[in-house]
Amino acid sequence: MKAIILAAGEGKRLRPFTETMPKVMLPIANKPLLEHVLDALKNTGVAEVVLVVGYKKEVIMDYLKDYKGIKITYVTQDKQLGTAHALLQAKDKIKGSFIVLAGDNIIDNKSIQKLTQDKSEYSILIKEHSHPSKYGVIFLEKQNLKELVEKPKEEIGKFISTGIYKFPKNVFKKIEALSKQGIHDLSSVVQSLLKEGMIFSTNIASSWMDIVYPWDLIQVNETMLQNIKASTGGTIEKNVTINGSVSIGKDTKIYSGSYIVGPVIIGEGCEIGPNVCIFPSTSIGDNSFIHPAAQIQNSVIMNDTHIGSSSFITNSIVARGSILGHNFSSTSGEKTIEMEGEFKKVKNLGSLIGEDCTINNHVVVDPGVIIGRKCKIESMKRIRKNIESNSKVM
Amino acid sequence: MCGIIGYNGFRDADKVILDGLKRLEYRGYDSSGLAILDKKQQVYKEVGEIKQLEKTITKTKTAGTIGLGHNRWATHGGVTKENAHPHLSNNKKIAVVHNGIIENFKTLREELEKQGVEFRSQTDSEIIAHLIEKNYKGNLENAVFLALKKLKGSYAIAVVCEDEPDKMVGARNESPLVVGVGDNENFLASDVPALLKYTNRMIFIDDGEICVLTKNSVKVFNGDKKEVKKKEEIIDWDIKDAEKSGFPHFMLKEIYDQPDTINQTIRGRISEIERSIRFPDAVEKLLNNNLDSIYIVACGTSFYAGLVGKYLIEQLTGIPVFVEIASEYRYFGTRRESSLVIAITQSGETADTLAALKEAKNSGCKTLVITNVIGSTATRTADGYVLNQSGPEIGVAATKTFISQIIVLFLMAMKIGLINDKIGSDELYQHILHLKELPKQVRTILDRSDSIADIAKQIKDSKSVFFIGRGINYPLSLEGALKLKEISYIHAEGFAAGELKHGPFALLTKDTPVIVIATMDSTYDKIIANIGEVKARGPNVIAIADDKDIEIEKHADFILRFPSNSKLLSCISIIVILQLLAYHTANIRGCSIDKPRNLAKSVTVE
Amino acid sequence: MKCVILAAGEGKRMHPLTYTRPKVMLPLANKPLLEWNLFNARAAGLKEFIFVVGYKSEMVRHYFEHGAKWNVSIEYVNQGKPQGTAHAIGLVQKFAKDFVVLSGDTIFGKNDIKNIVNKDNSMGLFKVEQPQDYGVVETKKDTIFHIHEKMDNPISTTINAGMYHFTKDIFTYIEKTQKSPRGEYEITDSINMMTKKKPLTGMVLKEWKDVVYPWHLLDANEEVLKRMKKEVKGTIEKQTTITGAVSIGKNTMILSGSYIEGPVVIGDNCKIGPNCYIRPYTSIGNGCHIGNACEIKNSIVMANSNIPHQNYVGDSIIGEHCNLGAGTKVANLRLDKKNIFVVLNGKKIDTKRRKLGTIIGDAVQTGINSVINVGSIIGNNALIGPGAVANGEIQSNTKIM
Repeated sequence: MKAIILAAGEGKRLRPFTETMPKVMLPIANKPLLEHVLDALKNTGVAEVVLVVGYKKEVIMDYLKDYKGIKITYVTQDKQLGTAHALLQAKDKIKGSFIVLAGDNIIDNKSIQKLTQDKSEYSILIKEHSHPSKYGVIFLEKQNLKELVEKPKEEIGKFISTGIYKFPKNVFKKIEALSKQGIHDLSSVVQSLLKEGMIFSTNIASSWMDIVYPWDLIQVNETMLQNIKASTGGTIEKNVTINGSVSIGKDTKIYSGSYIVGPVIIGEGCEIGPNVCIFPSTSIGDNSFIHPAAQIQNSVIMNDTHIGSSSFITNSIVARGSILGHNFSSTSGEKTIEMEGEFKKVKNLGSLIGEDCTINNHVVVDPGVIIGRKCKIESMKRIRKNIESNSKVM
Repeated sequence: MCGIIGYNGFRDADKVILDGLKRLEYRGYDSSGLAILDKKQQVYKEVGEIKQLEKTITKTKTAGTIGLGHNRWATHGGVTKENAHPHLSNNKKIAVVHNGIIENFKTLREELEKQGVEFRSQTDSEIIAHLIEKNYKGNLENAVFLALKKLKGSYAIAVVCEDEPDKMVGARNESPLVVGVGDNENFLASDVPALLKYTNRMIFIDDGEICVLTKNSVKVFNGDKKEVKKKEEIIDWDIKDAEKSGFPHFMLKEIYDQPDTINQTIRGRISEIERSIRFPDAVEKLLNNNLDSIYIVACGTSFYAGLVGKYLIEQLTGIPVFVEIASEYRYFGTRRESSLVIAITQSGETADTLAALKEAKNSGCKTLVITNVIGSTATRTADGYVLNQSGPEIGVAATKTFISQIIVLFLMAMKIGLINDKIGSDELYQHILHLKELPKQVRTILDRSDSIADIAKQIKDSKSVFFIGRGINYPLSLEGALKLKEISYIHAEGFAAGELKHGPFALLTKDTPVIVIATMDSTYDKIIANIGEVKARGPNVIAIADDKDIEIEKHADFILRFPSNSKLLSCISIIVILQLLAYHTANIRGCSIDKPRNLAKSVTVE
Repeated sequence: MKCVILAAGEGKRMHPLTYTRPKVMLPLANKPLLEWNLFNARAAGLKEFIFVVGYKSEMVRHYFEHGAKWNVSIEYVNQGKPQGTAHAIGLVQKFAKDFVVLSGDTIFGKNDIKNIVNKDNSMGLFKVEQPQDYGVVETKKDTIFHIHEKMDNPISTTINAGMYHFTKDIFTYIEKTQKSPRGEYEITDSINMMTKKKPLTGMVLKEWKDVVYPWHLLDANEEVLKRMKKEVKGTIEKQTTITGAVSIGKNTMILSGSYIEGPVVIGDNCKIGPNCYIRPYTSIGNGCHIGNACEIKNSIVMANSNIPHQNYVGDSIIGEHCNLGAGTKVANLRLDKKNIFVVLNGKKIDTKRRKLGTIIGDAVQTGINSVINVGSIIGNNALIGPGAVANGEIQSNTKIM
């Protein structure tokens, strides 16, 4: 059976992190989201994947050129009109039944197997959720899908749609028909099929996570790190303490006095220490240099970063290539963030720093502040408000 | 130069040979051909890329488990089907493929024509087939021996004869030849990657040697016809099939690879915490050696990397550096045992550079090579080698390997500077921080690609484009011109800015834009003056200037900006601008960017 | 009748032992896995062999050459890039028309091989307790009906043993075989096609040992050693105690005070003792040095490795050219006596063993008094410094100071 993965979206709500890469390439536990999805498809009977790409597709294609185990074909969605429209791009590559899933949702292997082994023509993976009204809410009749309501106004229902379906080949006819009417989203297609009397069986997904906002990255990173297995590479000097599940890549050097408590993953070619503390659940990418006495906790640090001495980073994201001077402090706390006209209250959020920033010494950043790409911040600054990409704070 | 391949075994020879030719295509892609011995020599040749030959072969069915194949990069004779290899003898029994140049081919051809030989092509290679036929008395290798004695020049050949259908003979003189040892099969090829899919056991044939391959045996003979015992090497490489990954051209992908290339090149070589630079032991030994001078030998873009390296090394270490074009080094270079000779060759197989390397070794110099290909001839010849670590470069015009060569030279300069106490650990740390800024700065340039494309529109119809710079920017201007010429076919020349007035000014008209590299260092004032001089004569001036430079706006017509870095490392961002300028110009003009006409990736003829 | 042995696989699940050697060359009682199959096949009457090689083929070729030493003839075919069992078997088309195929990394018994030889178009089957890890075979009376892929709820306990007797008919089906979901050409798919037209007889084997993970090698080593006959070629000094079946290679010296309880095999050119204690089911390769006050049990030590002073090694595998510093000890039992888990290639696996020491690759060095914890896996060229503690999976070239 083939799988179609929708990976064309930009992920505007994840800016500034998606300014240089599509949402599906954001790293979780040092692996792009999309790779986690591909890994979940292995051993489920899916041998071939059609990847619908669009925004910054070269980043995806370059990364996956060495991916082994599943054959990958690409189709491009030139204009991002909607999920059904994206699916339609893959029509010519599909001969029989297939499953469709988003490249930026974490899903586990067993749940996919439930779907591929389900005998029904139409099937959907659903999940229990405490706040279903943010998603497509599922109403069941016996074990089958009765109705799918997108973002209902009241808090109703218990299950949501994961957006992961199994369809027969002729679903494309329905998609094309609706597309002519200007309807491009998959939920509407499903609703229409239900009205025609199609039976959708439902399967409950074990673990499914959606990433919408930057702080979701931190949350999902923590969850995925639970699954990493300790593996030591590189050089570990004397008097280094490593507890719990810690994965250290090759050519990385951990200097004396460093204290690492897993689950933590550290990439290749890094220098950590001396006397650096890294606490759960932290991911550090490749070629990153963490200078002496820095403390990092529950954060996502991407490739090629430089964290200066005595810095304190917690519940934060530091994107690729950013250089933080010594004594950088991220403050963690509650923040109410406005997103698309809604106010979201996020607890325990630190700093969210975009790519290629240069932040000088003794800079303090308030909770939940988003610093864009390529920003420059002079020493001794207190950052209280978001900073747009390409800005300077003098 | 060309690529050759031969197979003698149990599989269908046409499949194996086509596969090998595809991997050898970077060596030449004018035309290709193969010959399968299936009772008679079945020869197929096509002009153009391998795809053409592949189409022809899939239509015909040739059984046959012994055959030869060839990719051509024309040296003698135009690109035609008749000139493509393999070439047959007059009796059509002997098939030959050849990589190299026969210097005395005119005299030999006249002699053979007097003896009644009919030539079908204008190539020098064809004479080899006829010479072998003339000397053939029932034993192929003896005939090849005698034929080769008459040749002057370079060759790597593979020969098959209808009368001895179990035998393939190969020979080498100055062009690379490798034997792949298999089970119930043996291979011959111009390089190792062509064969790695089938075997990893290789025997490197040396100059003057002849090898005889059957399905089950490999015998090698030296120039005195004595059998020699050769070592079988086990090659442990991982062949990664490079892909364009969504970019329209390999070259563009490789330009976009460069932020990562910089990281890959420095990986494992810098310790920020320890403030040190590390190279492999053999290289550390060479750099530690109380050097009084350094010679850099290279060709093409690598030569320009050497010129940039000269500035870097002289600035950081005070040691005098002499940069020589490899093909000239053998005639003019001085040799001193207290010098270190650094050869730069991306492929590790560039004939001119290898020859210079051998000369240097024979004169008692210590040698070091900077190359991108592990296991190449250069790595096996020099006393030590430093790998670019930048992954395969497929585009014929060098891009990421150029950047990576400069970074390696910069690291070496810092290392030697440290050893000689010319720079201290604080200064080293500052340089390391500047180096770390580079990937993000290159990403900034890549973001500005559209504005560079706009400038490309300006220059696309020019008859000539000039590039000028001073100091470290002078070799950059040479490289900028080379890139533009290579892929857009517009005539371009680089000059030291101070030299324009000593002659080349005569060429300036309003149709000859001038690209001026203007960095804010001690050369700045003079360069501004140069801009004035140029503008007075008509052409548009496109300045490549620092983001911080406000003054330049008063002088240049168009400006392409780069983010500030140290005076030693600004060159990296500037190079990326020059690469994108050449790329966009070629793209707008519809040129074949990854396979420019008349060029080949690794030049193994002299 | 030719015997084709598939010896091309890397054996990724045998890391780190297979970074430098193919799986079929892993030693059991100092002889490669492949050689035990060669012995049994030869005893079953087969004299002409074709080895399909690939990964690190030079090691196989170097050891076996053309089979003269065993009075058999061996030819080689190189698979090149691995593309599956059907691809491997397909390569022998020009060399064999009626042949038996053995998986090189499974140990078969000579009587079973004889039975398969005598039945054209047959394949070996075996009954196991945990069929979920294998392809289950559905039979109708004695004929193969269908070979299934791994299933969570297997329909029977009969699995594909990896031994076949094919005639040239199989090649037609191999040519038609498509790539499996794994991306390889599988012989089981070819067989499933063939059984529709030509019947294949299923024969249940009596002996079968599958070696998948490194600790299985310890089990197989034990099995082989149980049947070993004693043979002494080396020199044994006075005041040594040797009981049970102990084989000692040539030029090997057993020095005074050594206490060896068989079954144990010791290779050539070794120096054993003085005062060391070697307990049952231990294989020591050529050129090793087991020194004073050392105790080894139930372990495989490969060639040219040294366990030279005051060491304890139990239930472990040590690769070639290793050197344990004085006082280095391997722990092989958890204090809470629970099953030992191992992290291999980043995956956590229950070995189902109460006792497991360490699996060490080649050229690993340990400093004095270093400690190697239960179930640790140490990659090639790693360095465990003086007094350091090695835990979990340690990648190649790692330094733990």
